[in-house]
Amino acid sequence: MSPQRLPARPGEVIDRRRPLSFTWNGRALSGFAGDTIVSALAASGCRVFSRSMKYHRPRGILTADYWDPNTLVQVGDEPNVRGGHRLLEAHMAASAQNAWPSLRWDAKTLTALGGRALSAGFYYKTFMRPRWLWPTYEKVLARFAPGGVIDPESAPRRHDKRYAHPDVVVAGGGPAGLAAAAAAGQAGAAVMLVEHEHAVGGHLRWDGASGRAAASELAEAARAAGVEILTDATVAGRWEDNWLAIVERAAGGGPERLIKARAKVLVVAAGLIERPYVFAGNDRPGVMLSQGARRLANLWAVRPGSRAVVFSANAAGDAAAADLEAAGVAVEHVDARTGRTVTAAEGRRNALERVVLSDGSRLEADLLVTAAGWTAPTSLLNMAGVRPCYDPTAARFFPAEPGVSEAGAVLSTGGISGDGTLEAHVSHGEATGRLAAARAATLAHRLRVATAWAAPVNGPEPPLVPDERTPLGRHRHPALFCSSTDGMVDFSEDVSSRDLRNAAAEGFDSVELVKRWTTATMGSAQGKLETVNTVAVLAEATGSTISEVGTTTWRPPFAPVTLGALAGRPFEPVRVSSLHDLHVAAGMAPISAGQWIRPEHYGEPQAEVRNVRANVGIIDVSPLGKLDIQGPDATDLLSLLYLNKWRRLAVGSVRYGVMCAEDGVILDDGVTGRLGEDHYLMSTTSSGAGAVEVWIQNWLQTEHPDWRVRVTPVTDAFTSINVAGPRSRTLLERLTDDVDLSPEAFKYMQVRRGTVAGVASCVMWRIGFTGELSYELHVPAGHGPHVWSALLAAGGDLGVAPFGLEAQRVMRLEKGHFIVGQDTDALTKAPTAGLEWLIKLDKEDFCGLPELRWALDGEPGGAPEALQRLVAVQPTDPAYVPPEACQIVAAGPGGTERIIGRITSSRYSPTLERSICLAQVEADHPGAGTQLTVVDVSGRRHRATVMADHAHFDPEGGRLRG
Amino acid sequence: MAPSGSGVAQAARRRARYPARYSALALLRRGKRPWPPILRGGELASSYDAVVVGGGVHGLATAYYLASNWGITNVAVLDKGYLGGGGSGRNTAIVRSNYLTPEGVAFYDRSLRLYERLALDLNLNVMFSRRGHLTLAHSDGALRTMRWRAEVNKQVGVDSEVIGPGEIKRLVPALDVSEAPRYPILGALHHPPGGIIRHDAVVWGYARAAAALGVETHQSTEVLDVATSGGDGPDGKGPGGRVTGVRTSRGDVSTPVVVNCTAGWASLIAAMVGLRLPISTHPLQAAVTEPVKLFLPAVVVSGSLHVYVSQTDRGELVFGAAVDPLATYDTAGSLSFAEDLAGHVLQLMPGLGRMRLLRQWSGLCDMTPDYSPIIGPTPVDGFHCDVGWGTYGFKAAPVAGEQLAACIATGEVPELIAPFTLDRFAAGRLVGEKGAAAVGH
Repeated sequence: MSPQRLPARPGEVIDRRRPLSFTWNGRALSGFAGDTIVSALAASGCRVFSRSMKYHRPRGILTADYWDPNTLVQVGDEPNVRGGHRLLEAHMAASAQNAWPSLRWDAKTLTALGGRALSAGFYYKTFMRPRWLWPTYEKVLARFAPGGVIDPESAPRRHDKRYAHPDVVVAGGGPAGLAAAAAAGQAGAAVMLVEHEHAVGGHLRWDGASGRAAASELAEAARAAGVEILTDATVAGRWEDNWLAIVERAAGGGPERLIKARAKVLVVAAGLIERPYVFAGNDRPGVMLSQGARRLANLWAVRPGSRAVVFSANAAGDAAAADLEAAGVAVEHVDARTGRTVTAAEGRRNALERVVLSDGSRLEADLLVTAAGWTAPTSLLNMAGVRPCYDPTAARFFPAEPGVSEAGAVLSTGGISGDGTLEAHVSHGEATGRLAAARAATLAHRLRVATAWAAPVNGPEPPLVPDERTPLGRHRHPALFCSSTDGMVDFSEDVSSRDLRNAAAEGFDSVELVKRWTTATMGSAQGKLETVNTVAVLAEATGSTISEVGTTTWRPPFAPVTLGALAGRPFEPVRVSSLHDLHVAAGMAPISAGQWIRPEHYGEPQAEVRNVRANVGIIDVSPLGKLDIQGPDATDLLSLLYLNKWRRLAVGSVRYGVMCAEDGVILDDGVTGRLGEDHYLMSTTSSGAGAVEVWIQNWLQTEHPDWRVRVTPVTDAFTSINVAGPRSRTLLERLTDDVDLSPEAFKYMQVRRGTVAGVASCVMWRIGFTGELSYELHVPAGHGPHVWSALLAAGGDLGVAPFGLEAQRVMRLEKGHFIVGQDTDALTKAPTAGLEWLIKLDKEDFCGLPELRWALDGEPGGAPEALQRLVAVQPTDPAYVPPEACQIVAAGPGGTERIIGRITSSRYSPTLERSICLAQVEADHPGAGTQLTVVDVSGRRHRATVMADHAHFDPEGGRLRG
Repeated sequence: MAPSGSGVAQAARRRARYPARYSALALLRRGKRPWPPILRGGELASSYDAVVVGGGVHGLATAYYLASNWGITNVAVLDKGYLGGGGSGRNTAIVRSNYLTPEGVAFYDRSLRLYERLALDLNLNVMFSRRGHLTLAHSDGALRTMRWRAEVNKQVGVDSEVIGPGEIKRLVPALDVSEAPRYPILGALHHPPGGIIRHDAVVWGYARAAAALGVETHQSTEVLDVATSGGDGPDGKGPGGRVTGVRTSRGDVSTPVVVNCTAGWASLIAAMVGLRLPISTHPLQAAVTEPVKLFLPAVVVSGSLHVYVSQTDRGELVFGAAVDPLATYDTAGSLSFAEDLAGHVLQLMPGLGRMRLLRQWSGLCDMTPDYSPIIGPTPVDGFHCDVGWGTYGFKAAPVAGEQLAACIATGEVPELIAPFTLDRFAAGRLVGEKGAAAVGH
């Protein structure tokens, strides 16, 4: 490696006063601030940066930018770093990714020896026999997986996100983009300019003194117009209504950041990407594109070679030749416009030695620069529904006319739209910027009208300004894709033009099929360098035109985004009730229940059960979903949602209700109390609270927007405490003076509002999930801790103690109450759960009515097969608690076993001193006394008996009604 | 039906006669010369014994098994786009059989067994990678469902077991099984036979093998209408009628059998014979990262976090999630999908923050009310369905093709697909895979 750094040059972006030391494959090197990893390495004389994916061929610089497929490197624990783009940092540890044991001597180059058989898709054609050897083959193939190394143990970094609402986003900070941004800003629009490179200016940055002067003038104008300029950032995706993902790779020196922007108008000024030329040896180190050579020489003062052949079909190639000569490189100019082409790049091992031309001449060279044409990166436009359209005269794709979509909210300018002088591009950019600003004003007005409740709208809508820009011209360009020899089309995937032709011959003759068979265009640049050549080779192979072949679909993101930036900061809220600190102090064992952290128990759940059955216990049930429902049509709403009737529910009473979806499957259950004529408090299951609210809103907003009813989620507004046990009335009487708690005055299934422990406006209802006399208190949340503490303090002599979720689960199972989602599943209709008594088919309408009518009455077309039935089950062995989800089997045909059901809930009951279960069993089997076979997880069979009633304990309900 | 000319359908297995068999030796001999085309196409004939609508993995498998198992070779597969351009090319290539219902488990178990030897059957390496499949549980409820699936699987003879965090860590060291995440991993359903496969290769393998048996494949050939007679509805369509042919963008074809093997457009094709299918179409999004060296040895699924992930032999991580909530044919995908996905992946494997998402896409899923397919005969004689595959069609393709071919050839509905016929909706005989399939990959 011999140093290739040139003496100081005007326009160079390196700071020679700030040398930076770094390592490459463990070897100490140095570069300057402003260098990229690749430019620093190239300056140090490095010519091979990676090994290719399949054949492990040595690879050098191709484009010296973000899209360079040959210079992906590992930096520390970060894989796949774009070495042509990432700026050098002090003490960076960079290494090659795809080489073993070293970049220079790669053992896998041996695959090149077998390369005769290694055409694209070869793996589909071999390694099939013997079948038992395939796992071994697979392991070997996996060793050839490309890419860097990820360390799953590496420490996560914190990524923020930003939301922006600019009027205009300009994607691309070249001359046209800068001019568009400045013009839009001058017209009063809030503009964000997003530039992929580390500085704005586009190709002007490496285009000589006049180019640099023009670039800084344009940038200054944009800044003066108040444009926010983001560099090292890319508009990665575009969705409906200009919802943009902008990835800012080094936001303020920090980790990558995702900006989510809702732009009114998007201007795509992404410029052009230079296209490689396909010929034998075109992937040999020393063959590079004209933009790569110019960038190296002009931005980083690196001499890319000493003796160059410049194969040029356009002005950019000619400029590259001039630049190289100015950098002291001996240049041989091969003008493609005269019909001469390159047919081969030859040399030994890792070096280019000579270039063979179509006329047979051989030119000694260690550098071959090609300028064969351009690709318009139309991805963002395609994401807005604009198709790319091939123009054979200009030999490239353009956005299909008129290049706008979605009410003119997406525009394009610059090289992507056409050719012309710098002045023409700037002028087109300015016109585009003015158009964008005018259209943004129209769209802003529409937005304000749509949200007029937020702010009054002044004046009529400004007309949507028509597109009267003078279009950019299109320059004639030779159609150069593939020489007479075969070469590499996709550098990152090691796909050659021969591979593509063979694929076409084998029947993969459309662009989508050839892409999938060969994996061409599926590498790191996602086809930006490869697609057009792929299409051109395929067109030639199939005897069609490039237009007929077309391109594959461009999919987001335009440039890859780290998972960290996409994820942002983790946002997983934790919900606790107002009593949480008290539970912690009481030594709760916490359990996660959805978003909630709840007390599973306070030490001994079985003792908690016994205490509730004998004395009195209190449980925090705040996570119960609670909805305040008010309005004249509130009763209609309840009638629609629930299976049972609500019209006759008296004010001051509560009722249990079950909701089903349209298919009759149980959705949720809970108790609702009528607090006033038009006022209800509905409770839902804790886990179903969110879904029920959405369900209700869906019905109200789509089917019954005319109903006068308001539904307010008040789950967190109340602390909910269930006071349960034979002594609960005595306890509550000590804390209440304005509610008569006597059994005659406050009956089972009634609701009262009153004062508890001095806290007014508490809602209390008498229900019994645990099967005991119990009162559920809904206390304004701020007073929750006070009421909880008061209950404990007032009932010391009554034996009051808190109980947790586990004790509640045991008691509800003793009582035979099912839990939606545990004892029911996605097919459990109301009759399966034994809810016939609740279903009122004579109601005018309710969710699930037709399905349930069919299930119960068999109309129309005969009753469906009743599949399952929820039953209470007791194992014969009272000490055996079958794990939940154990299967229940019966003898099947031919001595086999058949699954007929499963245990849905099981516990050991301290009250009954035996195991108890709920189970779903086929409807043919569940009569009381039926013997069942339960298969334990271990495979052992246990006997169990079906019970007559769901309730294992107090089936008459004497306790809760007392 | 009986194939024309050959009298009675026979179950004698036919071997495909390839113009050139693939093998390592043949590869070396052929060098860089191209191989013969994998397809048989050309002009449309005026009549076929059967027309399969949809050149995806289901349509091609059906055609292949019609030809290989039943000798019905005068078959055309029609596709309006290119081979495998729908769900076959957009899925995340996971195969498994750890379903929830006995019917589902038996069905997918047969599919997995066919997949395991598919490379030999088709003489094309579909790169089946049996690497184990982990469905993580982050809650008591999820763990209960895992146990449910494990117990059903064991009863049906499929290898599935609920394992704890220690064993999970041993199998997939990159997973964070600590208490630190908001929703710690409590356990997992481990299904060793599950794995991934090269999905496109399955498509090409069936296409090539079917072609070698005489089946024609016509791409860019759109079915515009299905001709029927004798039905209850207008134009002889509807129940009680029978199929007489198809009208395509390349002309009319007569045929007594039409097999609807489409996704996204299944209900539109069914409407051509006057049938309504209980299907709504939702997009399912997926994404892939840049490749890194292999570190993820198993397929990992988290239903609670709505994500599934596997690493291909090329080193890319392939991600999927739940179907989008709204019914639409729009496949533009969304940013929020990528954001949520990344967030969830990082909850599972916090060290992956520097991996980069390279590409995202979406496909269309035809969802039925019970998340199970519609397969078999319909009230229109000769019109068969193999549709409604939701998010799990790819893993079912071999068995669906095999059984449907038997159904078409014999006129009897085989036991494995009997639970999934269209008439179950009228009979109220739904198959309860909804719980297991919500993010069931």
